[in-house]
Amino acid sequence: MLIKFTLNGDPAEVHLKSADRLLVDVLREDLQMTGTKHGCGIGACGTCTVIVDGAPVSSCLQLAALCDGANVRTIEGLDQAGVLHTVQQAFINKTALQCGICIPGHVMQCVSLIEKNPNPSDEEIRASADSVYCRCTGYVKIMDAYREAAALLKKAGKA
Amino acid sequence: MSKQILKDPKFESGLLVVGKDVPRADALPKVTGAAQYVADMHLPGMLHAAVLRSPHANAKILSIDTSAARTMPGVKAVITGEDTAKRKWGAFRPDLYPLAIGRVRYVGDEVAAVAATDPETARAAIDKIVVQYEPLPAVFSLDEAMAPGAPLVHDDAAGNIAHEFAFERGDVDAGFKASDVVVEGTWDSVRQWHSSLETIGCVAQWNSNRVTMWCNTQTPFLARGRYSVALGVPEAQVRVIQTEVGGGFGGKSGDDNCSVIAAILARKSGRAVKLIHTREEEFLASHPRMPMRYWVRLGFSKAGKVLAKEIRMWADNGAYTGKSQAILGAATVRHDALYKYPNARAKSTLLYTNLVPTGAFRGFGNPSADWAVEQAWDLAAEKLGIDVVDLLRMNAVVEGDVSPHNHKITSGELRQCIDKAADLIQWKEKRKHKKDGHGLGMGCSIHVNGRRSFGDWDGSSAIVRINEDGRATIITGEGEIGQGTYTVLKQIAAEELGLPYEDVDITRPDTDVHPHSLGALASRVTYVAGNAVKRAAAEANKQLMAAASEQFKKPVDELTIINGQIGPKNGAESEYKPVSAVVRANIYKRGGEAIVGVGNWDNPSEFPDHSRFGNESGAYNFAAQAVEVDVDRGTGQVHLKEISAVVDCGTVIHPAAAQGQVEGAVVQGIGLAMIEYFDWHQGTPTDPQYIDYPLPSADFIPKMHIGFADSYEPSGPFGAKGLGEIGLDAIPAAIANAIADAVGVRIHTLPITAEKIHRALHPEMYADEQKTPAQPPKGGVWSRLVTGKPSGTRPFKPELLQPKSLDEAVKLYAEGDTAIVSGGMSHAIRRERTGYPQAKRLMVVSRIPDLLAITNKNNGLQIGSAVNQQTLIERPELRERWTVLAESLDAAGHTRVRGMTTVGGSVGPLIGGFDMPVALVALNARVVTAAVEGRKTYALTEAFDKRFAKDEMLIAVEIDALPARSGSAFHKFLPRGVMETPTANAAAVVTLDASGKCIAARLAVGAVSWKPLIADLSALFGKSFDEAAIRAAVKPLREFAQPMANVRGSAMYKRNMAVEIGARTLIRAWQRAAQQK
Repeated sequence: MLIKFTLNGDPAEVHLKSADRLLVDVLREDLQMTGTKHGCGIGACGTCTVIVDGAPVSSCLQLAALCDGANVRTIEGLDQAGVLHTVQQAFINKTALQCGICIPGHVMQCVSLIEKNPNPSDEEIRASADSVYCRCTGYVKIMDAYREAAALLKKAGKA
Repeated sequence: MSKQILKDPKFESGLLVVGKDVPRADALPKVTGAAQYVADMHLPGMLHAAVLRSPHANAKILSIDTSAARTMPGVKAVITGEDTAKRKWGAFRPDLYPLAIGRVRYVGDEVAAVAATDPETARAAIDKIVVQYEPLPAVFSLDEAMAPGAPLVHDDAAGNIAHEFAFERGDVDAGFKASDVVVEGTWDSVRQWHSSLETIGCVAQWNSNRVTMWCNTQTPFLARGRYSVALGVPEAQVRVIQTEVGGGFGGKSGDDNCSVIAAILARKSGRAVKLIHTREEEFLASHPRMPMRYWVRLGFSKAGKVLAKEIRMWADNGAYTGKSQAILGAATVRHDALYKYPNARAKSTLLYTNLVPTGAFRGFGNPSADWAVEQAWDLAAEKLGIDVVDLLRMNAVVEGDVSPHNHKITSGELRQCIDKAADLIQWKEKRKHKKDGHGLGMGCSIHVNGRRSFGDWDGSSAIVRINEDGRATIITGEGEIGQGTYTVLKQIAAEELGLPYEDVDITRPDTDVHPHSLGALASRVTYVAGNAVKRAAAEANKQLMAAASEQFKKPVDELTIINGQIGPKNGAESEYKPVSAVVRANIYKRGGEAIVGVGNWDNPSEFPDHSRFGNESGAYNFAAQAVEVDVDRGTGQVHLKEISAVVDCGTVIHPAAAQGQVEGAVVQGIGLAMIEYFDWHQGTPTDPQYIDYPLPSADFIPKMHIGFADSYEPSGPFGAKGLGEIGLDAIPAAIANAIADAVGVRIHTLPITAEKIHRALHPEMYADEQKTPAQPPKGGVWSRLVTGKPSGTRPFKPELLQPKSLDEAVKLYAEGDTAIVSGGMSHAIRRERTGYPQAKRLMVVSRIPDLLAITNKNNGLQIGSAVNQQTLIERPELRERWTVLAESLDAAGHTRVRGMTTVGGSVGPLIGGFDMPVALVALNARVVTAAVEGRKTYALTEAFDKRFAKDEMLIAVEIDALPARSGSAFHKFLPRGVMETPTANAAAVVTLDASGKCIAARLAVGAVSWKPLIADLSALFGKSFDEAAIRAAVKPLREFAQPMANVRGSAMYKRNMAVEIGARTLIRAWQRAAQQK
């Protein structure tokens, strides 16, 4: 089965090995886009979060077949011509990472919030960060990075 | 007062890089997805591996038949113990084979492995391996392991004793005799899994007789040594390269068989092989924290001076030893250097059990020791009538103290830590306003900075080059596992070299390239490797300045290096030359030389003897932590309000990274204390994944105050010590102390659960409890394990159905063997992963317009079954008009989860504990279904009673408008505070008349039966608000609930919670109704 979709702005085509092929496996194995990580396989940890048609999705539970025609964004597609996405810069500024394995998930989750709501409340930040596990940071600095992203956007006049 | 006076005179004018929050060295690749973890590796022709594990806790292997697996297309190698060197290996007590030889000793023990062209084929192949076992009696607890005549886990370990040691320092009996107050108690701790979000993995490839292993190990050189033993080849034939490490915490320190199996498969297949633990395997077969039973007795003078300490400890080794005997030592002696103990006696025993082997985990035994001893100190404070803060402070070690085991405190600001932690949480102020249910607790801890464990050396060796491009390169094999090693070592080198931080690079460990290193363990890297790098940088700097001296024709002491520029002190800018020019000129000349500094540094510590006497580390770090809680007496639930954590780690090299270490450690401590546990049945975790075993998530963490003591360690690089582990150790004890302060309940066994507290507070509510023997769990991962089909792979390729119309969908569904892909908890793929049957056909209904509609109908709503929960919650009128339903969607998780979860997915499976159906039952909702013979509309409660017919598809739910003066509420009771199936959930709708009397009320309680239970509330009709009457009306739920005992609570706790949560929800709905005009 052939699916065609937009991946980080570029056209992508994949022959699915089987109908239950998952988006995370298509990205990581078929397309060798390994920026998206695999954490638990049951949608619990959020490590594999990508953005499909504007919404955050656990790619480990997303049937790739349903992405036919979709617009898929992953961590690899955030920076533009070498300029980091505001959210990526915010994570660096706030030292909001340690081992880094969950960071693609956290960054994509944060992007999905901040692009819709550039000035989130602390409660909205907490709820969003809550959906992705991190075993290293204790989340304090990750939530700081959300606030930093909002501040950077404001400074750049984008919010 | 600052202690910076001890600073190296060279840096008198202040530090330029150390102490600054520079951008982390590894930040850019980690925020762009470019960082290469082992699972991201791909080599040409690479195969994928899977492992067959034992379903028995103890059994003889009678035979293994691999023929069906070997002949599967795509399978390139199948191995068993026969393909190994049959050599036992292990860090201290070699007792583990790479693959079982004749015997398995725990559920998860490696039996056979497969390499195939893709991961699916490899997993499918292990299901085809037939193993005949003869099950043997097994020991599942410390008590069973030490019972007379207990079955032996290893035939050469009599009494199941893997290791034992004892000591007495001073005169303990005399100390107790002189004591006015003596306290004692026994505390038990539990297994905790590292749960790094990256699991253990390896890619291995042979080139003639040499194997290269790309491992996410914390300790590449120690791993190489052990793997060479396990493989039965000389160390010279093994090369270990560290990949990016996605979290370690002790769990990736080279005690696992994963890498060894990958290497054996690679040898047999002649191809590169990748083996990555699944999340489930990480639970079954990594080396979690070692549980201990810890009896401690402390003696004090009236004034509060500690006079004697005695402990007796038994630790659960699991089936194989790994590092456990060293952990036993740490947990026995370390704490004796925290307070001024004059006399100490201990005996500690490491016992084999038929459970998953235990090992190193952040804290290395100290969290279990602190769990006991720091609670004993709290008991003592109570008995002595002294505030615990004052008692701990009075007895805290100070600089110059020497412990009974010769631990020398060269820098120790524990008193400062205690004072600051108390101040940050406003201890004294809050003490004055003590209320029932509110409590404060404190705990302290001490940790090493490296430990002489693996022979009489705990040093580090580093090379620092200054290159012809003006940049410097640090060459060290210590490695980065996320804790910030690269950043901190770069800062130290840059400071010493006089180069900008950005101009220093650092290399990834490769045993072929780097000097011998011990790696990330025992909080040693900043202290030990930092010193080695500092020395190497100083040596390189010396060579550079000598070269500059020659080139500038000035003595070295008249030159200076600032920010990568060299020139005369106080010289004009134009006189300065870049470092690159100096280096290049030093190379490109007759007899020229590159600038290469080598630095070696050995921890100034002693190799402890068998009784653990000896100063195991050159320096010690300290922490004090204070916790504030509210305890809910009605449920036993603990609300963590604030935590303060103050650490003495000497000079703080990178403040933000240091805070991050402490914040992360505190949260892991919270996890150990209250969140991370699952159920076991006959030695098997019943659900080894992130459902029953959750991690702390962002919403659960309290307000944290992190601080650092003003401290300087003379032997540390720029005065620094380590801090990786210390932040975790005392957290569980501090939480328990706060709970005891709040409600007088002293918890002795981890984890701290709401149920344990509730039982202690309300024993009368458990008086009629009938204990039934534990039943094997139904379904789930457990059943896969015991039925010998562990992989969970689908033995066939499913067909994907994507009907365009409802009629087409109904027709296809009626044909049978079709699972509807509906997202969320009941997502077809997720259900299969967790052990439910696999359907031949997957039907996607999310593009059928009829099922995506939300329509107003007689002022009510009809909601299509394919509507996702996020779309529904965004309906503006929902929260105002059907609060109970909106709140049930809030409870279902987060935006991402709700976006992937549909109404049909939540309601269709008719599961009594899901949130949305409970709310819908309270709203008297109807279901609309379709089958070939037509559509039907009937009550959701009827659907629960009768279940859907095989060909009947849920297509919508319908709710009516609520009458005037109605209020509703939903409550999900998740004592662990993380998203999963609740202990109980409840939904209530109340309608009042103009005078505030109840006209109608409906309460549904979920998760305590196979369907939501509806309370008979007729006694409340016509009545005004009366909490006692409401509670009386709800109380019968306790009797007709039929809860299953599981990890969320015993049956009796759930019965009690059905009443408590039901009553609270009903009260809330009533109050909301009363607010309506």
